[in-house]
Amino acid sequence: MLLLYCYTAGTFAYNPAPDTLTAKDGFAASALDLRPYMNSLSDPKGHLTIQQVVHLPFTTTPQLFHDYKKNNGQGNNCWFRLQIKNNGKDTLQAILFAGWHDFMYWYEKPPGDTATLLMQTGLMYDKGGVERWDHYGFNVSVPPHEHRTFYLHVINKSYNENPLMPALFSEQAFARFHNREQDSYRKEAVVIQVLLGMLLVFFSISIISYIQLPDRSYIYFAIYILGLILFFALRLESKPYQLSFFHRWPMLKYYWDIPGLLFCFYLMYLLFGNTFLNLKERYPFMEQVFTWVSTIVGGLIIVCIYCIMMEQYHLPVIIYSYVYFCTLVPLLVVFVALAKRSRHHPLVRFFLYGSVCLYLACLGSFLMHIRPLGLLSALGELAAPSMLLIGGVLLQAMFFLAGLSYRNKLVHLERTRTQELLIKQLNKNKELQHKLNEQLEELVKEQTTEILRKKQELEEQRKIQLETEYDKKLTEIELKAIRAQINPHFIFNCLNSIQLFVMQRDYEYAQKYLSDFSYLIRKTLDFSRRNFISLADEITYLNTYLGLEKMRFENRMEYEIVVDPEIATAELEIPAMLLQPYVENAVKHGMTNPQQPIGQLSIRFTQVAADMLECVIADNGIGIARSRSLRTLPKHHQSSGMEISQNRAELLNKMYNTEIHIEIIDLSARDEADSGTVVKILIPQL
Amino acid sequence: MIKAVIIDDERNSRDIIVLMLEKYCPEVTVAATASDCAEGIAQIREHQPELVFLDLEMPDGTGFDVLLGTRGDVSFEAVFVTAFEKKFLHVIRCSEVELILKPIDKESLLQAVSLVKERIIGNSSKERYQVLLENFHNLQHASWKLLVQDTNGDSQTIFLPAVECLESRQDNCLFRLDSGAEIQAERPFRYYADLFSSLQFYQVNNMQMIQLPNISQIDANHGKIVLKSGLVVEITERRRKDLLARLQR
Repeated sequence: MLLLYCYTAGTFAYNPAPDTLTAKDGFAASALDLRPYMNSLSDPKGHLTIQQVVHLPFTTTPQLFHDYKKNNGQGNNCWFRLQIKNNGKDTLQAILFAGWHDFMYWYEKPPGDTATLLMQTGLMYDKGGVERWDHYGFNVSVPPHEHRTFYLHVINKSYNENPLMPALFSEQAFARFHNREQDSYRKEAVVIQVLLGMLLVFFSISIISYIQLPDRSYIYFAIYILGLILFFALRLESKPYQLSFFHRWPMLKYYWDIPGLLFCFYLMYLLFGNTFLNLKERYPFMEQVFTWVSTIVGGLIIVCIYCIMMEQYHLPVIIYSYVYFCTLVPLLVVFVALAKRSRHHPLVRFFLYGSVCLYLACLGSFLMHIRPLGLLSALGELAAPSMLLIGGVLLQAMFFLAGLSYRNKLVHLERTRTQELLIKQLNKNKELQHKLNEQLEELVKEQTTEILRKKQELEEQRKIQLETEYDKKLTEIELKAIRAQINPHFIFNCLNSIQLFVMQRDYEYAQKYLSDFSYLIRKTLDFSRRNFISLADEITYLNTYLGLEKMRFENRMEYEIVVDPEIATAELEIPAMLLQPYVENAVKHGMTNPQQPIGQLSIRFTQVAADMLECVIADNGIGIARSRSLRTLPKHHQSSGMEISQNRAELLNKMYNTEIHIEIIDLSARDEADSGTVVKILIPQL
Repeated sequence: MIKAVIIDDERNSRDIIVLMLEKYCPEVTVAATASDCAEGIAQIREHQPELVFLDLEMPDGTGFDVLLGTRGDVSFEAVFVTAFEKKFLHVIRCSEVELILKPIDKESLLQAVSLVKERIIGNSSKERYQVLLENFHNLQHASWKLLVQDTNGDSQTIFLPAVECLESRQDNCLFRLDSGAEIQAERPFRYYADLFSSLQFYQVNNMQMIQLPNISQIDANHGKIVLKSGLVVEITERRRKDLLARLQR
């Protein structure tokens, strides 16, 4: 949007001479329209120099001037001449302003002298910062009573020419004009800056989003936004009196004008749409169309840039307008197709809304410009930053960004759904596993119980077996221990006796004694290894033993062993060493009866029943009771020989599962006159 | 001349003692022999011997009965003669009364007789018999007395539970008592170690034997045992476990 300023003529009198401005004293014009005084010379080829121009005739061509932006349909290269005569007493000091143009040269020619270049500037030329805008006010200085000729050379290479309206200002008036201009352009600049800020925010968002979720559409969107940022930032370059970013490269704003539009609104737009809508999968034909069109647009951008390099500024505009009109209908078709194809897809909705917003804004802007600029000029301003267009651009960017967010959300949802599905599957698996585990566990449990039960059974069996074995072993061991206990006293006493015989040189006796003793020891050792011996062996053993005892007691003892002739002594078996302790006891006690000088000992074996052998060991000693009473030994020294015998019987019974019965009778207990002990042993036959 | 009486229930035993004394100990004359306790006591009373050879087991009693029967009116030295003795071995050894095992060999007989002869000549105290009988009547060897012949030739009677520790001292044995007193016994450490091994004693190392009830504290980690008197003895690694196991029983 351009504000047009009309310079009204001041109240000052016009000089009667048509082409010479005559200034009087006190020139203080706020804005003196110079059109009547400016003669012009057109130079379409641009070959003329200042030296040639001063000699050429100037004509009055008022159609050259216009106070609005005008499309000339060609470039403009013309010279203007201004002649001023100062009739006043003071030097005339004024400023000439003729608008903003691509190239401007300001010459002064004093009479009779050559022209000198006072100033050169232009939108395509001046590289200065914000101060460059002051170069467009050309100094007019005429000393009193003198005549001066000024030449202004204006070149506009682009067909769209800014207002060309020469006016003369006093210094104060120019300052006012300057301020006015500054304020009006500031409004536009602020709008652009706000837009830039917002676009920068969008840009940052998309870049950050891309870093977090590397999706190509973000990058295209970011490049699109960047193109827009550059485009609008360059728009600032042509806002007079405003700060700008790229003033060092004055040509840049021309290069990124039409190409920038093509780049943003066609190339990047198509690329973005392609990836954003995922057309490759969803609509492959459309994807191909988009790719082709974007390739063509890319070529056109290069052509445009080449044209600009060749200073053919009007060609890109023409290209752009053709592209615009050619694509308008196809784009609509595409939109409709897209909308139809994926009516319910929200992404398409975002894309469509955004696109429609921008194109409507463009169209609106175009229509707004048609009236003041005419059709062709308005085309170039299709993307001029009018409020409407800016709104459109912002809306589109917002829609796209929202679409991207939505896409993100969709991706996220998809992922979540997939995850949920996965989790569900996992849970199912887990459940299955759990179930299987349970079944397995149950099975294992059952089997374990079974195994345990069997093991326990086996163990119990083993235990019982072990116990029996252990008991048997124990009894055997105990028995052996008891059995081996042939009285050591007896052994050493025997040896003592042998020693005596040797000392007395009674060698025959000693030999007899020694051989008997050896036999006894041998048999004892032999029997201790066996559990049962034949009765015959036992009788021989007892005979030998008693013989030795008799010898020890100097024949004060007599004994007899009576065996029932019915008994087959060689075949009958009795537990080994069962009788020996009782016999030994009988000898011991039998020898201690003072009433009986000779001890009587008898051992009888009788078959009392078919399977029962009875052995009776009788002595005529003092009896057990009296024997005990005789002893003065303290209790703890008591002999335990008989107890051992009792235990022996029990052990034997336990071990061989027999019923050996032992009865000990003290004869004196029945009759005082009687004395002696009878031991009855009942041995069942196996 | 030493007058002796032999009491044994077996004629063969009596005969061999008589024979051996005749042959190897001419200074001993056998005044009488007896075949049982009653006869023995009578013979002792009659002959007043200085030495009595006593069989331990006889039909009407034991050698102890003879000693009991003649206590008070007769004073003599006794030498026990037995074929096999386990029951009374500790009682006899603790009171330092002589014991000869059958069959009798010359050396044991000579040693016993010479020892007894010394006592008779030195008219030494009959305390040992007192100790012997006391111990014989005591059920618990925890309250036994012990007669120790020290290196000076004196005999000392101590309370057996008072012995804390026995230590090997070259050919002798050192008794440490809970009172802190020490006795240098004439007999070697090994003799006592054998004698006490079946009692409440424990040999903790090659040189020392302690009485278990006198332990105050066992430092099993460092192999140290503190006795009630504060005496510290070391116990070897191998014996430590054995001792702990035995104490737990």
